[in-house]
Amino acid sequence: MFATHCSLITCCGLLVATSVSQAATPVDFQRDVAPILQNHCLSCHNDRQPRGELSLQSRTALVTGGASGVVIEPHDPESSYFLDLVTPAGGTAEMPKGKPPLSNDEIATLRLWIEQGADWPADLTLEPPTLWSLEPLTRPAVPADLSPPPEFPINNPIDAFIARGHQEAGLDPAPVSDRRTLIRRLYLDLLGLLPTPAAVESFVSDRRPDAYERLVDELLDSPHFGEQWGRHWLDLARYADSSGYLGDSLRPHVWIYREWVINAINNDQPFDDFTIDQLAGDLRHNPTREQKIATGFHRNTLRNTEAGVDLELYRTKEIVDRVNTTGMVWLGLTLGCAECHDHKNDPIAQTEFYELYSFFNNADETTVRATQLWEIKQHAKAMEVWQPERDTLLADLQRYERDPLDEKQSEEIAKILRGEAKSSSLNSVVDSYRTDEPGWAEIKQRVESHLSQKPVVPVTNAPIFSERTKDRRETFVHIRGVYTRQGEKVTPDTPAILPKLQPRDEIPDRLDLARWLFQADNPLPPRVAANRIWQHLFGQGLVATPNDFGSQGSKPIYPELLDWLATEYRRLGWSRKALIHTIVTSSTYRMSSAVNSVPGQRELHNQRLWRQNSYRVPAETVRDVHLTAAGLLTRTIGRKGIRPPLPSFVTEVGRSVKWPVSEGDEKYRRSLYIVFKRTVPFPMLMTFDAPDSTVSCSRRERSNTPLQALTLLNDPMFYECAQVLGRRMQAEHPDHVDAAIDALYLHCLARRPTPTERNTLITAHSDLLRLANDEHDSNSSGHSPEDAAMIALARIVMNLDEFITRD
Amino acid sequence: MSANDPHPAIPSAALDPDVLTRRRFFQASAGGLGTLALAHLLDEDNLLAAESSFPLSHFAPRAKRCIYLFMEGGPSQMDLVDPKPKLNELDGQPIPESIVKDIKFAFIQKESARLMGSPRTFRRYGECGMDMSDLLPHLSTCVDDIALIRSMHCEQFNHLPGQLMMLTGSAIQGWPTLGSWLNYGLGSESQNLPSYVVMTTLGRGLPGGANSWSSGFLPSQHAGTLFRNQGSPVLNLSNPPGVSREVQSRSLEAIRDLNAQRFERVAQPEVVSRIKAYELAFRMQQAAPELLDLSGETKATLDAYGVDRSEVSGDKSGFESSYARNCLLARRMVERGVRFVTLFLSTWDHHSNLDSGLKRYTRISDQPVTALLKDLKQRGLLEDTLVVWGGEFGRTPLGENRVNFKKITGRDHHPYSYSMWLAGGGVQPGQIIGETDEIGWGVTQDPVHVHDLHATILHLFGLDHKRLTYRFQGRDFRITDTAGHVVNQLLQSPS
Repeated sequence: MFATHCSLITCCGLLVATSVSQAATPVDFQRDVAPILQNHCLSCHNDRQPRGELSLQSRTALVTGGASGVVIEPHDPESSYFLDLVTPAGGTAEMPKGKPPLSNDEIATLRLWIEQGADWPADLTLEPPTLWSLEPLTRPAVPADLSPPPEFPINNPIDAFIARGHQEAGLDPAPVSDRRTLIRRLYLDLLGLLPTPAAVESFVSDRRPDAYERLVDELLDSPHFGEQWGRHWLDLARYADSSGYLGDSLRPHVWIYREWVINAINNDQPFDDFTIDQLAGDLRHNPTREQKIATGFHRNTLRNTEAGVDLELYRTKEIVDRVNTTGMVWLGLTLGCAECHDHKNDPIAQTEFYELYSFFNNADETTVRATQLWEIKQHAKAMEVWQPERDTLLADLQRYERDPLDEKQSEEIAKILRGEAKSSSLNSVVDSYRTDEPGWAEIKQRVESHLSQKPVVPVTNAPIFSERTKDRRETFVHIRGVYTRQGEKVTPDTPAILPKLQPRDEIPDRLDLARWLFQADNPLPPRVAANRIWQHLFGQGLVATPNDFGSQGSKPIYPELLDWLATEYRRLGWSRKALIHTIVTSSTYRMSSAVNSVPGQRELHNQRLWRQNSYRVPAETVRDVHLTAAGLLTRTIGRKGIRPPLPSFVTEVGRSVKWPVSEGDEKYRRSLYIVFKRTVPFPMLMTFDAPDSTVSCSRRERSNTPLQALTLLNDPMFYECAQVLGRRMQAEHPDHVDAAIDALYLHCLARRPTPTERNTLITAHSDLLRLANDEHDSNSSGHSPEDAAMIALARIVMNLDEFITRD
Repeated sequence: MSANDPHPAIPSAALDPDVLTRRRFFQASAGGLGTLALAHLLDEDNLLAAESSFPLSHFAPRAKRCIYLFMEGGPSQMDLVDPKPKLNELDGQPIPESIVKDIKFAFIQKESARLMGSPRTFRRYGECGMDMSDLLPHLSTCVDDIALIRSMHCEQFNHLPGQLMMLTGSAIQGWPTLGSWLNYGLGSESQNLPSYVVMTTLGRGLPGGANSWSSGFLPSQHAGTLFRNQGSPVLNLSNPPGVSREVQSRSLEAIRDLNAQRFERVAQPEVVSRIKAYELAFRMQQAAPELLDLSGETKATLDAYGVDRSEVSGDKSGFESSYARNCLLARRMVERGVRFVTLFLSTWDHHSNLDSGLKRYTRISDQPVTALLKDLKQRGLLEDTLVVWGGEFGRTPLGENRVNFKKITGRDHHPYSYSMWLAGGGVQPGQIIGETDEIGWGVTQDPVHVHDLHATILHLFGLDHKRLTYRFQGRDFRITDTAGHVVNQLLQSPS
């Protein structure tokens, strides 16, 4: 206690001493005080959104004070509440809220300023700091006069920005990756698949100077490109095949939206059109069916239909999600914070949240008939098989008819036989037949059974938006986010901090909103979109928080590069493929990802991008690379979802989850087609961090867990891949383990093993072969010992970190 | 393989989890190839994705583990632990309009609804004199070990929103469950088992399915792991058919060596995490089956839980006795360092046939739950193991008169007042917290909201619910959202 008193007194003494010593220098408001206010106070205490009703933008505002009254007493620091708030006690201060306290110097300056009368020129209004992401988007000058090392040629402006960064940070760029790494990287990034050994060898031996560019073009043209980049988009769209919550009913037709996404990306639909179709395709002039289907984007929200729930509550929650998702996906703003109150960190008021909400409040959930040509063709093909068999059966059946039949009887029979009656049973018309003749029971059964197998005429109804025209809903602020507590009435508008909306008509609609995103003066969507493309090619965005470009998000590394990419995206007519082409042909993209690729340079987190990043592939790709390496992959693009086998104890935890396993080759289709039940998500996908699709996901986790190891080692599907690959290697190289090991590596890793790796595998193989021989009699798997050993070897390679890593 | 190993092919010693220590693991890994660097990195715990970002508790923890006995569907409190003599008196009477004016029901028709008394008989037990229904003869014997809360309340009157609220603190799907928050806050204690395990005894599946143990917006390694109580307990735990232990072990050795060689080549720390993950997976392959093996349990223990109870008649599927097995397994898990175990028992959703339904579900659960409490206490585990019992809400004092019901034999959902109990883990036992009015409609004293319960549970684990946060969509989220107060009455005064 005594000691505390002592130090307090000393402290005060010091403070007084400091003040006195500084008293000689008069404080200049603009030079000394304004920067402190701007840096620490104005983002919350401004005229627009005065927290605690206090603004610190102008002298008038300051004199008015806030909810706690006047906070500054000129000439009297001791009575100035303002100083109490910013002076730390025990390391923390009341203000700035949630931020580190001001420095002692800053506090001393404020104290002195108040002591000297708190002078503030009457005509001087301070501006609150602007978010970096809201600064106008201009094309930055490309750095020139750079002297990067020869292995890092400046291929395009991207490299210039990066080379300047390297130079500034004194970092050497990593050398270019070898061709095997490059082709595997490109395949994984652009297609999410592995190259075949033949493709690898052809690229490695291609001596043409533009071999790399040719490969890039080839992959951008592949229909698998749309699957890979479509999957990225489906994360944002929180796509799932069921509604979530208790019922979690299937959405049997949503696959049509997934197919739309894949096609749009394969066709390189410009990103602005791609966006406008999804937000407001239904409002386009004479919208096409495809444009309507695109509005399925916002039909992927969770829906609660449990008996007895407050349906209106959950409807409002769906709209809130639509606003949040739109904010995160296109604006990089976490609007959700403003659902209940003004955004605490970013300049979004609660009323503005509901102004955005009102754009979506009259979007009714409807459907459009969207039966696809392939469905019709598939049906026609099935009918071609079914019909002749039916005709034969009918001829047989006719022989039992009593004659003559009256018109009514004939008509009734014909209806059943055409498969148009409710039931395929003949029971209702047996009177028309001579049922006591031999063979009747059999023919009746055969006809009925065949009729019941009549291919169903496909009908696909895509879930879409249609704007409500009658009984339009009005929108009110939900006080504290509670929809039953209506606040002020609002009309559609965009947040004031952003460029002004230019509606076509008096009352703005979703189409205006969608177009506004691409207005020349809107800086956010280009930055956010360019950042996301970068993220998928480097494992991390230039802004590490792709859905938050606000004050709580990360600041960009290489802000000028981001702006260059954003303007370039626009200049390229929003062509996703063109921008990807630019990025992947840069030297930056082609650098090695090895942490030790520049001896002695160990900046582990790679903040300045002196090398490429290396990271585990996404959940879907983990499964897809197994299927590709094993040669099992079924390459059908789009269409309906699949259900690979699952043990019943997984599906049983949900209510009434039927999981009819896909037949034949269907189960070997790519993982983005796996039916996603929100209450029973596919375990393998979840183990590898696939999003749970409750809300939009712009960045996946990349965990590394024992359950992943167990999955890769023991999951029946993965083991099947190892078996298929192992047997094939044994068949192709029966007496040559060396060659088999080479081939295994080529299939899985696009390279040959190093001598050490080869030794490790040869030793393992001989041990495993011995084990297989020892166990042969007791083993029920049916593999020859040679096959068993090679399967084990394939399983080893498929369990290597490198196999599921994109280097 | 070390060069001097006489039997390089099959490291049988490595099959013994006790022998496969970290040291041996490194001795055995690719000779000389930077094993030192690798060992150094492996020791840096922060490289492991599964490690916690909050290294320590905010204050001294009382609970280290939790067994959450989730009674899915909403058990009827006035038939089990909150006797209402006045309700019996008013049986068949309408309820005053003023009470139900602003109330929403899932199924009850307000206008014709009548109060429904309880056929159960109650007695007071223990030194604390806690009332227990005749359906709980076992729990009645250890009321001095539990703290009963009669004043639980929340707003969610439907199953899934209610369960999400109870499990995650939010009625909206997508939030992390309590076990995930603790996992995230405290990290893992077990080297061989997941630190958050879920087991189910299900009638018709859970409304939320796997969302009931989801990590929500927290990283996915904090999600619960679903265990079965027989066969292969975890998905993909067993080797594929035809792959012997020896083959598995030899394969893992090669995988480890090749991964270590890759680390040499690219120096990527993630490779080290991968090596470690495989090491843990291997340990889990040994530990999880051992967990399920009850042969080491005494007959007295098995009988106490009723693992092979004969009086559970007509239980051909083993559904009823599986709950007893799960309770015993829960004890075995916390003994082995599992931090959070949830046992779901479904379903107490007795809209009709309440009487027979309650009889069945108390028959399934009363004995094993009590045995669990006594077993934990006897082994000294109850002191730092928190046991929580409760559903997502309670049931109405009104009989349920759903439109198509011929007879009124059950009760509807009631979140406005219901009961839960806690034991162990720093909870002051032998007390009743809160009161409900004389018909059991609303809370009249010491209300405890779900958020308060969560705040208190985190407090028992040494965590401040306001400081255990995770940034998501631009906001710091916590399990109590913007509410929650620690219920001090529940806390044991420091001895």
